[in-house]
Amino acid sequence: MPAESAATHAPRTGGSLGLTLVVSEVAVLFRRLRTWAMIGALALIPILIAVVVRVSSDESSSGRGPAFLNSITQNGLFVSLTALTVAIPLFLPLTIGVVAGDTIAGEANLGTLRYLLVAPAGRIRLLLVKYAGAALFCFVATLTVVVTGAVVGALLFPVGPVTLLSGATVGIPGYFARLLLLALYVTVSLLGLSAIGLFISTLTSVPVGAMAATAALAVIAQILGALPQLEWLHPWLFTHHWLGFADLLREPIVWTSFADNALLQFGYIAVFGALAYGRFSTKDILS
Amino acid sequence: MNKNWRWLPAGIVPVVIAAAAVSASTVAEAQPQLPALTAQELLEFVATSTDDAYSGTVEQSSDLGLPDLSLAAPPGGSSGSDPTSAALELLTGEHTAQVYVDGPGKARVQLLDQLAQRDVVVNGDHVWFYDSEANEAVHAVRPADAGEDDLEAMLREKAAEHPELQNIPRTPAELAEVFLARIDPSTEVTVGDTSRVAGRSAYQLLLTPDDAATLIGSVAVTVDSETGVPLGVRVQARGQEEPAFSAGFSSVDFSTPDAGIFDFTPPPGATVTEASPKDGAQHDADAADEVRVSGQPTVIGQGWSTIVELPAGSASKLGLSTGTGESTGMGDIMEIEPGMDPEEVAGAQALLEQALVETDGGRALQTSLVSVFITDDGRVLAGAVGVDQLVAASRQWSNRQ
Amino acid sequence: MSAGELAIETRGLTKVFGRQRAVDSIDLTVPRGSVFGFLGPNGSGKTTTIRVLLGLASATSGEVRLLDGEMPDDARAVLPRVGALVEGPAIYPFLSGRANLQRFDAADRRTDPATRSRRVDEALERVGLSHAAKKRAHAYSLGMKQRLGIANALLAPRDLLILDEPTNGLDPQGTREVRSLIRSLSDDGTTVFVSSHLLAEVEQMCTRIAVMSAGRLVAQGTLDELRSGGTARVRVTTPDAAEARRVLTGLGLTPEPHGHDDVVTAELSVAGLQPETVNAALVRAEVRVRGFEARGASLEDRFVALTGEGFDVAG
Repeated sequence: MPAESAATHAPRTGGSLGLTLVVSEVAVLFRRLRTWAMIGALALIPILIAVVVRVSSDESSSGRGPAFLNSITQNGLFVSLTALTVAIPLFLPLTIGVVAGDTIAGEANLGTLRYLLVAPAGRIRLLLVKYAGAALFCFVATLTVVVTGAVVGALLFPVGPVTLLSGATVGIPGYFARLLLLALYVTVSLLGLSAIGLFISTLTSVPVGAMAATAALAVIAQILGALPQLEWLHPWLFTHHWLGFADLLREPIVWTSFADNALLQFGYIAVFGALAYGRFSTKDILS
Repeated sequence: MNKNWRWLPAGIVPVVIAAAAVSASTVAEAQPQLPALTAQELLEFVATSTDDAYSGTVEQSSDLGLPDLSLAAPPGGSSGSDPTSAALELLTGEHTAQVYVDGPGKARVQLLDQLAQRDVVVNGDHVWFYDSEANEAVHAVRPADAGEDDLEAMLREKAAEHPELQNIPRTPAELAEVFLARIDPSTEVTVGDTSRVAGRSAYQLLLTPDDAATLIGSVAVTVDSETGVPLGVRVQARGQEEPAFSAGFSSVDFSTPDAGIFDFTPPPGATVTEASPKDGAQHDADAADEVRVSGQPTVIGQGWSTIVELPAGSASKLGLSTGTGESTGMGDIMEIEPGMDPEEVAGAQALLEQALVETDGGRALQTSLVSVFITDDGRVLAGAVGVDQLVAASRQWSNRQ
Repeated sequence: MSAGELAIETRGLTKVFGRQRAVDSIDLTVPRGSVFGFLGPNGSGKTTTIRVLLGLASATSGEVRLLDGEMPDDARAVLPRVGALVEGPAIYPFLSGRANLQRFDAADRRTDPATRSRRVDEALERVGLSHAAKKRAHAYSLGMKQRLGIANALLAPRDLLILDEPTNGLDPQGTREVRSLIRSLSDDGTTVFVSSHLLAEVEQMCTRIAVMSAGRLVAQGTLDELRSGGTARVRVTTPDAAEARRVLTGLGLTPEPHGHDDVVTAELSVAGLQPETVNAALVRAEVRVRGFEARGASLEDRFVALTGEGFDVAG
């Protein structure tokens, strides 16, 4: 063995956390044009809502449209909430589907998967790192909607203390603390879908297929969730608590949906994480 | 190495989850050992219950065998501000409410709608209603000499004025009271199996009407074994497996809630309506006018099979009238209360048009627990009885007239 | 040869896809320090073998030892010491060449982040890509991508390099550079395992070779051992071709059809038969021998004999 080898390889303890791969994963994710295109599209939702409401603010359309829409003219900070309500059923799952579906299948498609594994990244470690990247994207995507909404709202509308659902008001710092909690809630909501996407991604080397399948599952779960005949199934659907984020806007905050949601999503992570492990740990990498 | 070992976690995880779910429900269904009580003792225990201060989450669900029309509602938007769909809303589906009580003078009920909320706050002399979606608040001041019953009456009146507030669920204790008041000599009162409700051991009081006419099969009231506070009510329709209606705590905490919860200041931008005593008097006058026009509702029969009849002309006003008759107020228990509020049924009429079935002499709506019959001459009859009973009652009374 | 002296050793390595035996019970022995040529036509199972060696695919049966470890069980300990180019380079097109290498280097948790950028730059320098390091890999030519792939294998000092068709897509200049690179690595003590479908390439670089055909290992050894394994040939130029054929047949040989009327060729397929004996027999039979040539087996003949000729990709 060449003498230099020992110097090249850091002591096991130093690198065993493997954080450098996480950093690298995040860097790769956010150096892609596609990632920024999706974040841009998500940012467009609050911008569009705010501009449309501003332009047509004379017309009264009370009682219709997405929740919180009518509050926007009085307080620009509500743009975040309206945008989130609009983004949750389709746009967020779509972007998560792209990122989560791409995790393994995308690397397989580029062929880079074999070099990561030969490096060696370790298969389980790679799954974990890939999942961490997808989870971070969930948070960034959600935060994009929330923060853009607050900024655009503040630019186009008056801003002031925010009225919660219970009729109590919180100051702007308190509101931003709640927005952060809200972003956390929505991020947690999307973790189950991310795990499903990760599993589907291990099944194929065609990333588009995995992305479409993941996004389609999010839509299907919501359709099933709307069918009263399947009421027994509803608490088990990963979409079940998606719109429960409003519980964080009550005074006092109702934590049950946060806890129920976290437990449910954890269950999905466990099941689909195990499936992804089963599939990927000994899969032949032939691409 | 056996390649199949890798699937082991994928096999174990669902098993663990299933086991956890089963064991959780087993714990929940475990029957606690409690000292035996007779039905009479249990009734007295409830009557003397110490429910001074508590808070908790109340879950309410109705399964009246109607098609779920909530699908037609716009997503995300609750139908709070629309009285017809609000009434309809409670015929199907589920509700969750946070309840805070601190003695008779302080109470707050928060109906947790999706992305919205409706609140009733009682704090001493001040009563607030708040609807987050409409951003509307109603304020009322209780007269200084008013008693408990006056408060109840006022709440009912206010709720009648604002149909969007009618769906605020009552506490299980209040619901239980409604049914316990129905107990008549023909009602069989027994003590059922003990159970665990909201993490507490509870007795169960079973009321079985011995009345062939009513659709109500039985009513079960769970009673906290420590405090005697009713924790839940379950109404079984005759011949139906699942409860037609149930409301109860999913979690409860018998400690004094934070006093700040009972403070309410209307948020800036909210439409605030002051319901002063004068307004109330005015309203009473209006109501009297309406009564004059439409006539008094007639109560036919008694006990579990009571039928309420609204006189001719009522049908044409369905969904529009407010403040007439005996409103059950903020309670949305119309579907289970024998002496039910005709307006609430009426409010749903417009949307339930398609659910109405042509019957001899009119149109009828039959659910597993209540029936409504609209005669061709515009009278409306409703009760926890079968349609044939309503038809028979309508004939009997028109004959008499 | 004891296990410690082998960089790669497989026993009965078999990989079956469905009903097809892509690799059929091969026993490879690659001594340490050698430059080992892994030769075979396209589709003969070379790349599949390499995938199994590196733990990318699992063997249907058989054992693989890489350096001091069993694959795939000891992959974590062994693979950091192995540099590999498998079935061509793979890149993130949206990253620069340097960022690509940094990504792959970060994948190995035992590499030292402190020395990463130095090592990446050295590797780029070594394959002559320094000038294009900041360019997006998306804009790289085929040859540049190939160089980047080789640089990836050189990110850390390796004990073993497994290079699958390393000169693919390279111009003659690049091919020469890769050859000299392999030689210098070998001089440093690195074992180099090179797969190729080109005999000439292997012949120029390698000290030992193995030949794959249709999933089977048909020959393995030093260049000389392989050459000597072939049969010599005689080539007779004579106007009496028919008589010459008769004489050769009489000696037990099988004359082959030939395009020219005055040329007769045959393999010296009879054991112990020397070319001079054949010539003597021809002269005795009064065949007018105008030219006589006896040729030892070329590696090419040997290769063709082992793997079959033509463009048919072995299925």
